[in-house]
Amino acid sequence: MTEISSLRPLAAVLVPAVAAAPILASGARPNLREAWTMLASVLTLGLVASMVPAVLDGDVYVTELGSLVPYVEFTLQVDALGMLFGLLASTLWLATSFYSIGYMRGLDEHSQTRYFAAFAGSVASAVGVAFAANLVVLYLFYELLTVATYPLVAHDETDEARAAGRKYLAYTFGGGVAVLGGILLVVHLAGTTAFVAGGITDLATADPALARAAFALLVTGFGVKAALMPLHSWLPDAMVAPTPVSGLLHAVAVVKSGVFGIARVLLDVFGVDLVAVLDVGTLLAVVAAVTLTVASVIALRQDNLKRRLAFSTVSQLSYIVLGLAVGAAAAPSQATKWALIGGLLHIPAHAFMKLTLFFCAGALHVETHTDDISDMAGIGKRMPLTMGAFAVAAAGMAGIPLVAGFVSKYFLLIGTVSAGDLVFTAALLVSGVLNIAYFWPVVYTAFFESQGDSDEKPLLAGPFGGRFGRAARTDGGHADDGHHVHDDHDDHGPFERRAPNGAEGSWFVVGPILFAAAGSVVLGVVPDAAVFLQVVREIVAGATAMGVVL
Amino acid sequence: MEPIVPPFVPVLLAAVLLPFLGRRTGHALGALASAAVVPYVWLVTEGAHLPAKLFGFDVVLFNVDPFSTLMGLIFGFIGAAGVLYSYASDADNLQTAFALGYVGTSLGAVFGGDWLSLIFFWELMAVTSTLLVWHYGGKAVRAGFRYGLAHGIGGTLFLGAVVWHFAETGTFLFASVPGGPEAAGLAGSVAPVLAAVGVGVNVGFIGLHTWLPDTYPRPHVAASVFLCVFTTKTGVYGMYRVFPQDGNVAVAYMGGAMAVFGATMALFQNDMRRLLSYHIQSQVGYMVAGVGIGGALAQAGAFAHVFNHILYKGLLFMTAGVVVYRTGEESLKKLGGLAREMPLTAGAFSVAALSIAGFPGFNGFVSKGIVISASHYAFEKGPVVVGDFYTLELLLLIGGVGTFMSFIKFGYYAFFHGSYDGSVKDANRGQSVAMVTVAALCVFYGVFDGALFAILPFDVTSEAVVAHVYHTYTVTHVVEGLVLAALGLVGFALVKKPLSGLGKVPDVDSLYNPALFYGTRWLVVGVTELYAAVDRVVVRGAAVTVAVVRSPGDAAGRRLGDERISLRADYSTSILLVAVVLAVLVAASVSL
Repeated sequence: MTEISSLRPLAAVLVPAVAAAPILASGARPNLREAWTMLASVLTLGLVASMVPAVLDGDVYVTELGSLVPYVEFTLQVDALGMLFGLLASTLWLATSFYSIGYMRGLDEHSQTRYFAAFAGSVASAVGVAFAANLVVLYLFYELLTVATYPLVAHDETDEARAAGRKYLAYTFGGGVAVLGGILLVVHLAGTTAFVAGGITDLATADPALARAAFALLVTGFGVKAALMPLHSWLPDAMVAPTPVSGLLHAVAVVKSGVFGIARVLLDVFGVDLVAVLDVGTLLAVVAAVTLTVASVIALRQDNLKRRLAFSTVSQLSYIVLGLAVGAAAAPSQATKWALIGGLLHIPAHAFMKLTLFFCAGALHVETHTDDISDMAGIGKRMPLTMGAFAVAAAGMAGIPLVAGFVSKYFLLIGTVSAGDLVFTAALLVSGVLNIAYFWPVVYTAFFESQGDSDEKPLLAGPFGGRFGRAARTDGGHADDGHHVHDDHDDHGPFERRAPNGAEGSWFVVGPILFAAAGSVVLGVVPDAAVFLQVVREIVAGATAMGVVL
Repeated sequence: MEPIVPPFVPVLLAAVLLPFLGRRTGHALGALASAAVVPYVWLVTEGAHLPAKLFGFDVVLFNVDPFSTLMGLIFGFIGAAGVLYSYASDADNLQTAFALGYVGTSLGAVFGGDWLSLIFFWELMAVTSTLLVWHYGGKAVRAGFRYGLAHGIGGTLFLGAVVWHFAETGTFLFASVPGGPEAAGLAGSVAPVLAAVGVGVNVGFIGLHTWLPDTYPRPHVAASVFLCVFTTKTGVYGMYRVFPQDGNVAVAYMGGAMAVFGATMALFQNDMRRLLSYHIQSQVGYMVAGVGIGGALAQAGAFAHVFNHILYKGLLFMTAGVVVYRTGEESLKKLGGLAREMPLTAGAFSVAALSIAGFPGFNGFVSKGIVISASHYAFEKGPVVVGDFYTLELLLLIGGVGTFMSFIKFGYYAFFHGSYDGSVKDANRGQSVAMVTVAALCVFYGVFDGALFAILPFDVTSEAVVAHVYHTYTVTHVVEGLVLAALGLVGFALVKKPLSGLGKVPDVDSLYNPALFYGTRWLVVGVTELYAAVDRVVVRGAAVTVAVVRSPGDAAGRRLGDERISLRADYSTSILLVAVVLAVLVAASVSL
């Protein structure tokens, strides 16, 4: 491994950050404004992609910017783990930029300038999280990300949106405080917070009780954005944001900054061996297993498509955390290798699939103003490509072969079984079945039913009826409390038929959907050809100090 | 002949092309692609295999051994017949495309030389068959969802077993493949159990079978012809791979129980295709029993029965489909006297019914005989012995009587009882060709049993291979077949009256559908309320913190009940407060 001194990590963060300025300045000329966004996203992706070959060879790009506070260097570095998140965020930002244009213009949204500027700022922060070289720099960007995404969550400027925004800040800043506490403890124990593949050496000899406390604080703090239960409920409420925000930020950048933080803590601060010695991995894995099962159960009953997707996100994020935690708890063994590969590979796998699903939900909203699953009978006729992509991604979520979800779930299963943690295997398997139960009704109602000819749905799906006339909500109340009630269940006529050739909507919307769906399939059929699996192997090889032969 | 591509490739290719072609061209291509599998797998050298890499694991996409070859032969043939029947029964291109996707993925599953490709295609098979059901719309959609869920659960359990096997052995390859492990089957003690239950969903173990009668009667009549063939039979094949040598006693008895349970439930049914669906469970019971008994004779019998069953069961669904297609009626109660209107269909039905019931001279007699013979000569006596008959053997024989009874019922009410009002046409040309071809094979393999023995994985007529050599046409065996038929006739005459007054007989799904529905509902409500409580605490806590920091005086006042408390302190109080804080800090740091 060699360190390459380079300005490229810094540039990758600065390009989207700086782009916010011309975007704000050209608010009066939308086409120019969007050109800045496109230019910045292409440049960022180019910069990140240019570092891939060397990173795959085990090299690390470093930008040193001097001292931030005493003992803490302001340093950016691109290693394999950072590359995984950075490459993912910048690739999907490009797709989302196209989609945002189609979506925001399709709905004729207000405050588009603020939206695009905040989006660029959020991506800059996410790339900063990815390329941070130590915990303090990571923390800085982690909090900046919260700030930059607030205007996006509260974009609607309704009471509901503002409430969701406040809740978002309360949860994530609360988590931030815990992270800061954890960082201070780590500094106290080890004298450094710089990431080292395999863990910080001095931490291994520190007081175990304090080390455990530091671990707990860090993981709890990052667990807020990773939506570990019971800290998850900001996420479903943040779905009031415009759909591209829900897609890129609340399925990829923001939530995965939490997961990424946990990965850094496990792999590069404590190191898997120390986590196994401290015996804290199993507890984290239990939390993740409970989260992924319970969130799937809740998702069964959500009628609003975006809320159902949000709970699916809560569940799927825990697949990743589960893989990391089981892998660390089982170190050093073969199980570590499998579980870590599974967990880390699920980061891009879930990102592509969930982005597809959110893009589809947004496209339905733009074109037909349909948000509730019970209104979607026959919508596949109107939007064949969109719902086709939805079906593919939904199959992948359930771990059906040919889509990305199968591969990562497979590695995760091998990891949990090899580690002997059969409860976790069972949780993964049960969740797979639950995914079928809550995603497939959307698919069949879209393609195989019509408004007048839809079967009763007595088994699992469908809103509450009977003895539960009111739908319980997860955020402390009931749907009939007066906020966010849908009464428009009757104004969706039979959908007209449109050919699957793009006539269903703007190519700015349909194109990114097809791109994201294609990405899920490529990752599911030839994961070796897609860069991500190679990056993941590189990470695991470094973190476990055993060559990953596969 | 050297292998070129795995056999699923041309079939799946045809499935992808089909929606874009004309109806006639598309169906012709589909039938051709499926039919081409028959000579191809017949000619490929045994032991040949095509290795590949999937996600970095070694897999074998085309593994030629006698078991796979037998499955490939019959799957390819019935696939082609099914496409012809679909074409004649007005199925549209998309439906046939789904059906061919189902055929192709099944071929992928039975020709995989490792567990990874088996489970890969196994799950895809569940998806393609669900799509095939859904495509009909209406009442098939929700049933299709239940079907998808059942197979999701089964596939998931099987997947768990396969992963377990990998964790134990470090490879996915079958033992027979170069580089594979030493022992065949699934390693460890848990994996075979998980797999048996998972595969048990596919073969319709009692209690896991409700998707079968729930789903198969609902979609398009041509879709039912495909459905009745692939899922359960691939299940039997999978069960053999899990227990490749000595079988499993529990599985064998489950097979016997299925034979009796399925035939009994079938007797209660009036919907034609629902009756036939229960008979799938019953017949698959014979195959599962064969696999469970283990050893050359029983396994040969099980696979012979797979081969024959696909022929006569496909034919039965074709004839029932023609009746539905021509009359629009699903229920036996609304039919009757059709033998005069549809002589060809009635003839084809009779051949198929005699075959499934195991009447001498028809193919079912041959293969069912092998399994029953194995249950006598190659299996334990079991707890119940009546004369010279052992427990499992008795179950299988009782199942045979039940089969005669329910097919006498089917034939009697559909074709021979009373007369039909008005006139209906017989099967059209395409349907007739498909039915006559399959019916001819049912008779052919019944009369020329040697032709059947030639494609079995083990030679049941050679003393070198099986301990007890099997002969189809011995006096006792033929008498046994005739006695079963007579018992069936007498039995039907006895229960005809009570049966006709019987309403809908509930199956176990009338228990677990509501249990699942209300169970998950309560779970969701409970969990949701729990998190709502957590959430209220967080949100309120944040609000209180904000209020306290913003105006501490008001907050303290509210707490103490006063209007407003002044929080100003004079110098001495301030110094005291600072001193207290410092003292606490010092004490804390010393004690640490």
